[in-house]
Amino acid sequence: MERPLTVLRVSLHHPMPGPDTFANVPPQLEHDTSPLLVGRGLGAHLRLQLPRLSRQHLSLEPYLEKGSARLAFNLKALSRKGCVWVNGLTLRFLEQVPLSTVNRVAFSGMQMVVHIEGGTSLEAFVCCFQLSPSPLIYRLQAEETDEWEIIPQEQPPSGSGQQARGHLGFLDSPSQPSPGGAPEIQLQREPPDSALCEPRRPPRSKP
Amino acid sequence: MSSFEDADTEETVTCLQMTVYHPGHQQNGIFQSIRFFNRQKLPSSEVVKFGRNSNTCHYTFQDKQASRVQFSLQLFKKFDSSVLSFEIKNMSKKTNLIVDNKELGYLNKMDLPHKCLVRFGDYQFLMEKEDGESLEVFEIQFSLSTRPLLQENNWLPQKPIPECGRYSSCSTQNNSPIEMGENEW
Repeated sequence: MERPLTVLRVSLHHPMPGPDTFANVPPQLEHDTSPLLVGRGLGAHLRLQLPRLSRQHLSLEPYLEKGSARLAFNLKALSRKGCVWVNGLTLRFLEQVPLSTVNRVAFSGMQMVVHIEGGTSLEAFVCCFQLSPSPLIYRLQAEETDEWEIIPQEQPPSGSGQQARGHLGFLDSPSQPSPGGAPEIQLQREPPDSALCEPRRPPRSKP
Repeated sequence: MSSFEDADTEETVTCLQMTVYHPGHQQNGIFQSIRFFNRQKLPSSEVVKFGRNSNTCHYTFQDKQASRVQFSLQLFKKFDSSVLSFEIKNMSKKTNLIVDNKELGYLNKMDLPHKCLVRFGDYQFLMEKEDGESLEVFEIQFSLSTRPLLQENNWLPQKPIPECGRYSSCSTQNNSPIEMGENEW
């Protein structure tokens, strides 16, 4: 009997997409246990046509935690020039972090939410892509801050909520109180693009 | 002269020194496709695969008992660290990979210690990392050992031996037991 594949539900949003930005994004993509490459180049498995995107910008690498029967994933930054913001951390070239069940990712103006639904197959995994017309990550406009703040109970803007919920049902549902104890999503503020790759400052010393 | 003066400052390159051993190499040429004593440069983002399949692996083993892809190595940086490290991942469903004393099953991975012994089946690899600055490339250099590395280098981390105790199965290769008190066991 075939084992169910791990599913990565990937939602994508770009505030100003070009006509070809998402032209090569398939609805579904099955991939083996090698790292899945995201970038602009022909060698990338998920190709996004963005001028500021590297040919290989990031990878999603499946692996097994010792003692676990389900795939876990690492996100690794592969761009020498750009950065990748993942769940509040800014990754530079060759840095990697493990992903959790729901993940907020931003790079080159692109917003991406990755929701991992574990299957038991260790042969492959499948990505299901959805394009979102609405932003996926709450973003600061004019206010400046150097710490990413967590907003406890972010509500979708009135009027657009229904559309966003319909398009990204899986994204909204976990933030609602769940009797089953599902993890609660805390929306995080995405840094402005200009701040993504600024040199890291040492942590402030407390008085 | 000017080309020397205007050239970019040379960077040191992270290098993984791999000494390999297999008892059947002399007879069967298991490592015949590997170029020894040659520092091969690879892009830093490359996932380097080792195994039997020459189409997918950078370094191949001429051995039907080896998996098509046995294990992979890749360079990475820990978050907020400037140090480049290697990560090893077992890609074989049939054979566990042993890094020093840690056993890795299929798709298990771990950071490679600075100097360690990697084993599976009759294969032994002594891996030593030379730190470098370059983020663009890294190097791998192979050496061939005609003697088992496990015994030669006494590789497994030493476990203390109780005065009246016996060697555990893991420490049979150790030649120099460390003394310890009776109550510490």
